[in-house]
Amino acid sequence: MEGPKLTDVVLLACGSFNPITNMHLRMFELARDHLQDTGRYRVVKGIMSPVGDGYKKKGLIKGSHRLEMARLATETSDWITVDSWESLQPEWVETAKVVRHHYEELPAAEQNNDDVDTVKYAKKRRIKENYFKGSSHQKSKERPQVKLLCGADVLESFAVPNLWKQEDIIEILGHGLVCITRSGCDPHKFINQSDVLWKYRNNIHVVHEWVTNDISATHVRRALRRGQSVKYLLPDPVLRYIKEHDLYNAESEQKNADVVLAPLQRFTGASSS
Amino acid sequence: MAIHRVPLVLLACGSFNPITNQHMRLFELARDHMHSTGQYKVVGGIVSPVSDGYGKQSLVLAKHRIAMAKLALQSSNWVTVDEWESQQPDWTETVVTMRHQYGRILKEYEQRTGMHNNFNGNTTFLPKASPQLKLLCGADFLETFKIPGLWRDDHVEEVVGRFGLICISRGRLQPDRAVYESDVLSRHRQNIFLVREWVQNEISATEVRRALRRNLSVKYLIPDSVIEYIHQHNLYTDESERRNKDTVLRPLTKQAQQTVKSLDD
Repeated sequence: MEGPKLTDVVLLACGSFNPITNMHLRMFELARDHLQDTGRYRVVKGIMSPVGDGYKKKGLIKGSHRLEMARLATETSDWITVDSWESLQPEWVETAKVVRHHYEELPAAEQNNDDVDTVKYAKKRRIKENYFKGSSHQKSKERPQVKLLCGADVLESFAVPNLWKQEDIIEILGHGLVCITRSGCDPHKFINQSDVLWKYRNNIHVVHEWVTNDISATHVRRALRRGQSVKYLLPDPVLRYIKEHDLYNAESEQKNADVVLAPLQRFTGASSS
Repeated sequence: MAIHRVPLVLLACGSFNPITNQHMRLFELARDHMHSTGQYKVVGGIVSPVSDGYGKQSLVLAKHRIAMAKLALQSSNWVTVDEWESQQPDWTETVVTMRHQYGRILKEYEQRTGMHNNFNGNTTFLPKASPQLKLLCGADFLETFKIPGLWRDDHVEEVVGRFGLICISRGRLQPDRAVYESDVLSRHRQNIFLVREWVQNEISATEVRRALRRNLSVKYLIPDSVIEYIHQHNLYTDESERRNKDTVLRPLTKQAQQTVKSLDD
């Protein structure tokens, strides 16, 4: 049973999840398949971290609702979890800090037992066991890596002025990035054109989504406002929750309508002072 | 009482090998669109998987395709599965399936209105517009009308003229062009409803089978209950993909036979 040593990976997705859609969930599945296919990684857990209300994005509804919808959506997954830390922060938190937080939260000693299929059964219990087992006196192994899971748009947003701090980009890339891209797009070109991305190119995993599945949350909200069906674009329990709480309407879309996005506020403010 | 809208049933014919979320999205999109015309009230949807006689490569047994479609549609309150087409020993022309389904729908409707009329002591007259049946399809379907030998002209005429088509366009395909380029389709232009799908959602059953063969995840592309069924019966493998590999598609041979017959006459 002597395989090559596998590095444990936790996949972290940050975003509005306003609302969560099947595409968000697909990204996790695609990323896990891709990383495990390299033969170098074992994906032990997925974390979905909805952004806090302080992000001030137009149409962003309350964090508590977005959190609950994400929980409902991941109920049928045996490895994707939802974490509330980021959404509970009173102010917007830089993504680099969220990655750092989750990295530091991980138990230093992860016991790598021979049960490779750990992630497949009895979700919460097994995910927990995976983490707390072996934390004391067993011989310690490497701590899992936390890799940020994102769409190609995030990679491209690194080039938008004042959206990211340079040291944050470096910190995130140091942990690693898994970037899902549509077939037809070529992020390699983009990576090549950026010095910092090129430097960390070995830490950027590009996953091709061959099946185009472009369910954006924006589209879902638009359809909901117009009374059109969004069934099969997001899980039924989420749909029920949205209807029950009448979450998305013309009024909710006007939230933060004239407010500058928190990262832009913070970094343009910082650079001018 | 609002203006009477025409009750409408949507029928989707296809392999459903396996049924995907995209198939079910087509129904949702079509219903929204037909309601937005203000002229129709969609009262039902029918999924009609093709019979094993179709001879398409990698087509798994109809009983499995039916079972999967039933599982997938458990959460829908208006779309159902009908087994009639899949139970025919030979492949059935789409128009024949439509005639059958329409006959069934009319009979049900007449029974219902008949009972209603008896209760009022009235005689036989149908008070409201009688239901219609339209074929629901993807844009690629319109393209098949162009394939020589696949469709009989009188069948195309009947499908679009007598019944009608609702066609959902995906990505780059231009269904209006396909309509423009065909004389029959152009003639029945008002009976062809083109629905634009703004969200690109190209979950094809072919992609799903490919992923399954390669042991990749298909979660969130097809319902969990269908994934379980597929695993339980080990449905999609390299071997299943080779089924009917060297078989000519039944519509091609069936039409050819009929052509020969008519030449003989």
